[in-house]
Amino acid sequence: MEIGSMAPASSAILQLRNIHKRFGQLEVLRGVDLEVKQGEVVCVLGPSGSGKSTLLRCVNLLEPPEQGEIFLEGKDICRGPESGTGEQSWELNFVRQRVGIVFQQFNLFPHKTAMENVTMAPEKVLGKPAAEAQAKAAQLLERVGLADKLNEYPERLSGGQQQRVAIARALAMGPHVMLFDEVTSALDPELVKEVLDVMRELADEGMTMLVVTHELGFAREVGDKVVFMDEGVIVEQGNPADVLDSPRQERTKKFLGLVLER
Amino acid sequence: MQELINQYFDVGFMVDHFDQVLEGFWLTVQLSIVAGILSLIWGLILAQLRQLPGKGFLPIRFATIAYIDVFRGIPLLIMILLISGSIPSLEFLPEWLRIPQWFGKPDNFWFGVFAITITYGAYMAEVYRSGIEAVPGGQMEAARSLGMNHRQAMRNVILPQAVRKVFAPLLNDFIALMKDTTLVSAIALSEVALAGRDLQSQFLNSSGLVLGAIMFLVVTLPLARFVDKLIAREQGRFTRGAPRVEAL
Repeated sequence: MEIGSMAPASSAILQLRNIHKRFGQLEVLRGVDLEVKQGEVVCVLGPSGSGKSTLLRCVNLLEPPEQGEIFLEGKDICRGPESGTGEQSWELNFVRQRVGIVFQQFNLFPHKTAMENVTMAPEKVLGKPAAEAQAKAAQLLERVGLADKLNEYPERLSGGQQQRVAIARALAMGPHVMLFDEVTSALDPELVKEVLDVMRELADEGMTMLVVTHELGFAREVGDKVVFMDEGVIVEQGNPADVLDSPRQERTKKFLGLVLER
Repeated sequence: MQELINQYFDVGFMVDHFDQVLEGFWLTVQLSIVAGILSLIWGLILAQLRQLPGKGFLPIRFATIAYIDVFRGIPLLIMILLISGSIPSLEFLPEWLRIPQWFGKPDNFWFGVFAITITYGAYMAEVYRSGIEAVPGGQMEAARSLGMNHRQAMRNVILPQAVRKVFAPLLNDFIALMKDTTLVSAIALSEVALAGRDLQSQFLNSSGLVLGAIMFLVVTLPLARFVDKLIAREQGRFTRGAPRVEAL
């Protein structure tokens, strides 16, 4: 495997430098710098349209940035010769074997059971034998509290259950970093906790997590760092208590005020 | 009145020539199944070529779109005449292709199969495409984010869902294809239309053609009902399931 240029010495597992991304006329990210350390939980807050989700999607190259650098475990994953799609395959493989993502809309495969959703990628991508993939999947689904739903199809599961299957599906690939893109936003209020609980356990076990969320309680309790974004830039970041309780920037204060008013 | 019945619904005539018409219809069925299966496969290949990602595949995508547009716009009869009248004269082609006699079927059977597959493959490619495009974009993203490449994602995630969505419209195309196989009578393949036509000109009686039409209905009516049922079931499923909000 080729070696990209190395990041300067740093304990960061993930480093973003000056990330820019535009969709047509709209510049969604306007120079974002961010560091995530091994085992750290970083929560990204911000109003809708602030570029939070796009930032996550840049990290696993679903939306490769146009400008800037991303270092994953010291390897530059954004450079390399242009291919047809602007994505370089070795970078993709490198990234997607190390970074898992969970989406707001779950995106489970509706024609597959919970078990098959989890085993598909390990079997097709990693070439694991079916028995091994199934044993691992059963273990993961048990861990997210769905041991009795192995053979259910997604449409028979609640939103919270579907989202937990989606987490198990991402974990099945053995990621080093997990991205969560507003994973509780599409859930009924009473289902939010079961998903956050799973994420909390994952954090306790030392998983490195980048979490876009509107759950301030989760950010405060589980987050090691809180990042506030607005209009495509990071406005403020720091430890959760500082940012949430005594924000220094006006925009942060205004946003937190609006969220807490609810 | 009696004259009308004698011309179109002469039961005695139908009974006397039943075997001859049925033999023609059997050939129609064989033609439909062979050409139908090949069109389904060819259409699926075209649809996938059309969906290849990236700049590198632009020429292939462009060529596929051109193919689909052109062959959907040319009448099947012209394709049949063009192929059957030209391929046997192309000296550079090997004998087995110039005058195909595969599986004991005459060359005009295979020329009909070629023409139908070329034309209906283009139709079916569009049907598959509508199915592929109806699968939410998040499915491809989920598959890609799990490390699947485009091909793996297509095969394991997108196509199984897309084909389910378009099963009914594909079956509709198959019914249309089956009826269009009668055009192969133009190159002297004695399928059901030509069998009826021969009887008509020999006995000045159209009951043989009517019998052929009835045989068609025996097959196409249940198929059409089946398609309606599938569509109703698909719609029922859609309204019962929770609404899926698409991520921005």
